Amino acid sequence: MGCMTCVLVCSREIYGSLSVKYSAMRVFRDGLGFRVVVCSGCEDPDCASACPYEALKPRPDGGVELVNPDKCVECEDRPCLDACSMKALRWDDERKRPIVCIECGVCAKFCPHEVLYYGEVV
Amino acid sequence: MGDILFVSLTEGMSWVENRRELIEEYIGGSGLAINLLHELCPEGVDPFSPENPIILAPGPFIGLYPVCSKTIAMFKSPLTGNLGESHAGGGLGAALRFAGYDALVVLGASPKPVWLDIRGDGEVGFKGSSSVQGMSAVETVAVLKEPEPDGLQSVVAVGPAGEKFVYYANAVVDGYNFFGRTGLGAVMGAKNLKAIRVTGCGRIGVEDLDGYKSLFERIYEEVVKTGKMRKYHDLGTPQNVLTLNSIKALPTRNFKSGFFEHAEKISGEYFADNLLIRKNPCPLCPIGCKHVAMLRGFFADEHEVEVVEAGYDYEPVYALGSNLGIDDPAGVLKLCLLCDSYGLDAMMTGTMLAWATEAYERNLVGLEETLVEPRWGDADGYVEMVKHIVDMPNEFYVSMAQGRAYRGLGEDFLMTIGGVGLAGYHTGLAFVVGTAIGARHSHVSNAGYSLDQRHLGEPLDPVKAVETLVEEETWRCILESCGVCLFARRVYDINLVAEALAKLGLRRSVEELKETGRRIYALKYRFKFREGFGFKNLKIPARLFETPSANGRIEPDDVKKALEVAEHRIKELVERYAPAI
Repeated sequence: MGCMTCVLVCSREIYGSLSVKYSAMRVFRDGLGFRVVVCSGCEDPDCASACPYEALKPRPDGGVELVNPDKCVECEDRPCLDACSMKALRWDDERKRPIVCIECGVCAKFCPHEVLYYGEVV
Repeated sequence: MGDILFVSLTEGMSWVENRRELIEEYIGGSGLAINLLHELCPEGVDPFSPENPIILAPGPFIGLYPVCSKTIAMFKSPLTGNLGESHAGGGLGAALRFAGYDALVVLGASPKPVWLDIRGDGEVGFKGSSSVQGMSAVETVAVLKEPEPDGLQSVVAVGPAGEKFVYYANAVVDGYNFFGRTGLGAVMGAKNLKAIRVTGCGRIGVEDLDGYKSLFERIYEEVVKTGKMRKYHDLGTPQNVLTLNSIKALPTRNFKSGFFEHAEKISGEYFADNLLIRKNPCPLCPIGCKHVAMLRGFFADEHEVEVVEAGYDYEPVYALGSNLGIDDPAGVLKLCLLCDSYGLDAMMTGTMLAWATEAYERNLVGLEETLVEPRWGDADGYVEMVKHIVDMPNEFYVSMAQGRAYRGLGEDFLMTIGGVGLAGYHTGLAFVVGTAIGARHSHVSNAGYSLDQRHLGEPLDPVKAVETLVEEETWRCILESCGVCLFARRVYDINLVAEALAKLGLRRSVEELKETGRRIYALKYRFKFREGFGFKNLKIPARLFETPSANGRIEPDDVKKALEVAEHRIKELVERYAPAI
């Protein structure tokens, strides 16, 4: 529907403040409907494979974790952003690192119309 | 907290002033806006002069709590000649808040047509708008919106009606929301201001994050799971069509009747079952009351066809449907879309078309004035008339565009009070009195229509009705100041509002909150009186007394009595809560 609740509760979990820019979720108008852009929680994530500094590491239950953010500061090409076909990663230009989904599921919890689902995908 | 962005169109400059003290005292939204209006609007100013300020103030709940999205616009109205006040949802409030501002104030007038690009970094872009002048308001929004903005983006635009100073031109927000009433579009037009784009790239912080989160969850559950707001989500406001028709309160053919024999064809049920294509919520609103229908349109011969989106709500469906005798849903949608594109208040446009049709019927005006034969139910004829309202080819249409009865003819059936076209509720005494005494002459100022419906079949005491209406309006001043959408009024009761404010560091008791509401209300009325509003000049169209309402015939003496009591009560409040500033 495009109410952006997921976007804002996400920013709150990751950053402790509310923002549309600093959030791991995005919602866009797309034709007559909407497009939600969010981390797919890949088992073998392309973004992590693309990282030359091993700053992004796959998480055991899918998705990635930013284990070494200091490495991101000097990173100019940001290959992780390009590697994700969903374009789910965005760059935090203040802290100079990707905004990484923490796979917490808060977005799905506050989705009023069951657009988002959080759980095990077989 | 308290940063206000000022833009001077005359000088092409912008600056930020911090007015934290006003937020602490008056919360934000309408409380903030009315204070700024008193400061910035010179007494007796021509609404179209550069000195008339435009104030846009979102409340502090926006971007934080569910179903809070209303930005309050204040200015001097060309339509009422006094307080101009209109509330719009959409993303504007959240975009301003994420850009770091509690209000935007637009001063002066630009020498050339411009639009403003606001990004929250202190800079304001003054962009030439020559390429979008004359463009439809809805299309202007689409042109100026970026496909993937860097934050929350919102566009407010006026259409040709605003550019040509139609007194009830509106300003469209994000395509489906509106500063609909009292003519903000015309005031923007007079400033040579075609549009404002705000991109909120920043953050909103909360001191007590955990406390705020748990309160958010409680409100969210209440909104989504209790059914308190279900009607707004399911059918949206057009659910009212059949409800009101069943109690004979659906204004039909210029309020000649409260019953429309074809109501089912333009009902919320019909639209939702057959034409609804999506709902368009404001940010952080799980409800999505804005319903959007598809409309098939032909733009050339040989079946050159396109499907366009048309937003619809109860008020436009009444004003451009039953009140014009139109039973064709596509015809209603066509008129809705036309008003949205021209940037016209759909309600007031319907009021004027209905008046013109009756004036023609009674031979008060002829074809040389109307140019098109106005006929109940003839949507295509009305389409031509709407175009004339904007083009103003003769004196008759100039008067139509000013919201007036041509040469004072047929004022008894010009369905306006205080200059503002009536909403679609012929429910009884409280609706009439509520509209008359509402600071912005809106049915939602104090919900008289709701009071009437709660007392169906029981005659209302005019004195008690005034008491209830004034009490309700002073409370609504608080909701408007927080940014709460009035559709969520059953969720946001006074205790919840006090608790939610406390989480933002704005602590006050329930009693103190009520006092603040009275002060805001009194300030609005102080402005009205200052600009020449008088209860004695209020004309109530005789038609309201002739056509039986849902509560039977409304007695003129009851209304007279109520207005006398209201005048006394309101003057008392102004003296006590808003003495000389």
